[in-house]
Amino acid sequence: MPTNSTTSAAWRRAEARLLAWFAAQGRRPAAFQRAAWRAWHEGRNGLVHAPTGTGKTLAAAGGPLIDAVLHPRSGLQLLWITPLRSLATDTAQHLNAAVQAMDLPWRVLRRTGDSGSAERARLRRGACELLVTTPESLALLLSYPDAKTRFAGLRGIVVDEWHELVGNKRGTLLQLGLTRLRHWLPELRTWGLSATLGNLDEALHALAGDGVLIGSRTKKRTIIETAVPASGERFPWAGHLGLSQLPRVLDAVLSVRSSLVFANTRSQAELWREALSSVWPEAPETLALHHGSIDPKLRFATEEGLRLGTLRCVVATSSLDLGVDFASVERVIQIGSPKSVARLLQRAGRSGHQPGMPSRILCVPTHLLELAEVSAARRALAEGHLEPRHPMRGCLDVLAQHLLTMALGGGFTADEAYAEITSSLAYAQLPRDRFDAVLAYLRTGGSALASYPEYQKLVETEGRYQVESGRIARMHRLSIGTITSDGSLQVRYMKGARLGSVEESFLSRLRPGDRFLFAGRHLELVRVRDMTAYVRAAPNRRGGVPRWMGGRLPLSGELSDELRRTLAGEDDSVEMRALAGLLDVQRRQSSIPGLDQTLCERTRTREGDYLFVFPFAGRLAHEGLAAVLAYRLARIQPGDYGYAVNDYGLTLTAARMPPLDADVMRQLLHPWGLRRDIRASVNLSELARRQFREIARVAGLVFNGYPAHGKTLRQLQASSGLLFDVLRRHDPAHPLLWQAEREVLDQQLDYSRLRACLLRVSRSQLLWRETKRLSPLAFPLWVERLRGGIANDDWKTRVERMLATLEAGADA
Amino acid sequence: MMTREIEVAGERLTLHAQRAIHWAATRTLLVSDLHLGKGAVFRRAGIAVPSGDTEDDLARLDALIAEFAPERLTVLGDLVHGAATERSAWVERVRAWRQRHDHIAIELIAGNHDRHFDVASLGIEVRPGQLSAPPFVFSHHPEKHAEGYTLSGHVHPGVTVRDGWRRHRLPAFVFDRDVGMLPAFGTLTGLHDVERANGRRIVAVTPAGLLPVSER
Repeated sequence: MPTNSTTSAAWRRAEARLLAWFAAQGRRPAAFQRAAWRAWHEGRNGLVHAPTGTGKTLAAAGGPLIDAVLHPRSGLQLLWITPLRSLATDTAQHLNAAVQAMDLPWRVLRRTGDSGSAERARLRRGACELLVTTPESLALLLSYPDAKTRFAGLRGIVVDEWHELVGNKRGTLLQLGLTRLRHWLPELRTWGLSATLGNLDEALHALAGDGVLIGSRTKKRTIIETAVPASGERFPWAGHLGLSQLPRVLDAVLSVRSSLVFANTRSQAELWREALSSVWPEAPETLALHHGSIDPKLRFATEEGLRLGTLRCVVATSSLDLGVDFASVERVIQIGSPKSVARLLQRAGRSGHQPGMPSRILCVPTHLLELAEVSAARRALAEGHLEPRHPMRGCLDVLAQHLLTMALGGGFTADEAYAEITSSLAYAQLPRDRFDAVLAYLRTGGSALASYPEYQKLVETEGRYQVESGRIARMHRLSIGTITSDGSLQVRYMKGARLGSVEESFLSRLRPGDRFLFAGRHLELVRVRDMTAYVRAAPNRRGGVPRWMGGRLPLSGELSDELRRTLAGEDDSVEMRALAGLLDVQRRQSSIPGLDQTLCERTRTREGDYLFVFPFAGRLAHEGLAAVLAYRLARIQPGDYGYAVNDYGLTLTAARMPPLDADVMRQLLHPWGLRRDIRASVNLSELARRQFREIARVAGLVFNGYPAHGKTLRQLQASSGLLFDVLRRHDPAHPLLWQAEREVLDQQLDYSRLRACLLRVSRSQLLWRETKRLSPLAFPLWVERLRGGIANDDWKTRVERMLATLEAGADA
Repeated sequence: MMTREIEVAGERLTLHAQRAIHWAATRTLLVSDLHLGKGAVFRRAGIAVPSGDTEDDLARLDALIAEFAPERLTVLGDLVHGAATERSAWVERVRAWRQRHDHIAIELIAGNHDRHFDVASLGIEVRPGQLSAPPFVFSHHPEKHAEGYTLSGHVHPGVTVRDGWRRHRLPAFVFDRDVGMLPAFGTLTGLHDVERANGRRIVAVTPAGLLPVSER
């Protein structure tokens, strides 16, 4: 490592070139940028966190560029990882400008899933010094036998938008890739760029092991406004579409040159674009739609339109949360609750890119209680309560994929690989027996309990694991990555243009001739063939909107806590003033729970007997809690309990409810035996079966086929659900089944939050209210269609019940 | 609930929840789409499917044969999934199973998957195309035949049944005016959703027995 005294003069001379470039543009580097350059020079790792548009890219790039002036070399030196393919082009241009300005002989290349063959060939020849790529493309590069030599001259890695990766499996895959590179190159420097997170230390730890956190001092101001319904205006107690606010949104959109309207789900985005277009006074092509199921080409065209400023308004989902900055966007509008403080901040940050300008976001509540959420979000932001994004731990599916990559990229021994993998945060606590189980899955197919003749993915020779079959190597490289879009069908016009993809479950309900709204177009289904839905433009407007799975995020813990405080305390925000009437009704009919209170209500209406519980712990935890409560209720009185949940609470109903009061509720909500009861109550295997889709694909258990071949692999098609059933029957100890169950508990049911919530409830005062009418808090739950229930019956009872209904129907 | 009598083309057929039909008048047991050896095809391609599917399926056939004591067993196509290699243990298992039941005639209406394997070498009679068994025609593909009512397979029919707030996707027997379809017998087979339509009789197969499904 160079010492400061010997190199500082040379360093300053090299840095001067960069400073000159800044000066030529009439700018000066910020303190955090220079701090990052210096830390790089000292050979340290680090994480730079700053709002968008403050110069994070140059903070991270400056160090390596100065370094390159000091030590000119050719061959790959710097790897720049970006989570979005669409960002790669922009980033490459941006970095190239800096390289040119520094007068460096560096070649900047980009390699992503959609790079052309010329770019790939140049890359293979090693013809670049700076490579911009994605986590998946890095994994692919690591799967070639010459990977180690290809990266031999690498001096540093920069991971852009690390906050987008740190909490998901793509981040886990990247952690493993970085560990691989650091293992080969102990001097390698790892840097990350991130938006502000609640757990920056942990994010840095996951990225680089250790290093420095560098933040910009410029605080960007964020102004949160609300479209408050006028007094006397009828405004719904429940709902999630919010179309009654259309005139206000239209006004807001038309008052500026260009705006982004964020919706929380894809179907909400479709409907809002549709609603806006029906009253759109401008040229129709100035209003666009952007969400993750729309074909990349169409999405790219929309992004181009934003960049060039030809679009007045884009209705989008989280698909536009990150990505290239659009300088033209002047206003951001959020439809419905933002669900998390960090997300609100990020979305607000998509406007006001001019230096010194605050970010502005207009929140449009879809029902009254969302007013309180906006007020809570503003308070949380003011106090700096941002959500953490915790790295995932010990994902066995990603591990399986990476081990195969390691086997292809030079091979490994079990001990070496275990030592290397457990040096990453994601697998630091991975027990050796679980590692061995994954290795056994790759070598023999599954656990030692079951037999898998003919199966050999990995071959062991003298303790070294490698892949022998060329076919397995090809299949693996094609399925690298962790993003899945399983179970969806392509949507395209009869003439061939692609529109995007829609979940199979939606299309299976349609017949040829049926109409639906997708990608902002009215379409008519012509036929479904070869995983493609062929459509034509429909002559008039009618029909449903596709519903996509997994669109609804739970209210974050930070926002829920703040919401409880907001409801309980004295809050004089404009939102809470608008909400005062409703809260009065709640207070009169029932109660508003204080911070140390938990509210339970029971309402017997003519059509049913409902129990409501309001723990404010987010919809996922409530889902698990509803199942546990139904199970505990069924122990008092057997029956078929249906339930519904939202972010505030849950409701349970049955034909006959047991006698309930505050004491019984206390018993029912007790945290003792939670894990046991959740296992017994939730149909864990049915949930795990769904979760298994992604796991099977990541771990290489299902194969989606060669892009060009299509039909020739018919014989190898099996649904992940089928494989799940077979594994459960014949190999119940399979490591991937374990992974599926764990993901159900951690992700689908948010077990840790559920547990924390019950502990809080057990320490709080229980308010038991029997109400004559549905209270304002209860009403939204009542209108949610009963979504699930507790199945403490077996198939025999189910069939008997269904037969009975059938006969009853026949009598009628 | 494990069996259910149904009248088709004037004949009484017994539907069995193990996804088979017994035609008592001729003592014929009908099954379709076994896809034996499917797991092995997957494993060879590097997709880890545990073995045991073929044994399971043969054991279920054993139980059906014991229950009905049929004179013949007719497979309506796709007995096997794909080609075998010398290492494919399932072939020997199927051969041994055939020998255990040498007192009954076993025949296969060849399906699209059967062309990859010499089924005759297992001691099973192979009939290409279709087989007339008045008033029925046995065929792999569900096509209308002038000579009689078609009993077929190929489609792996399935149906979604509502049960309160739940939905179950289940294999099913389907009988139209001229064509009937059996659910796939094999453990390792998927489902293809069929629509409910007027005049179409559907009987779903649940883990606890048979469930007639109403028309729409």
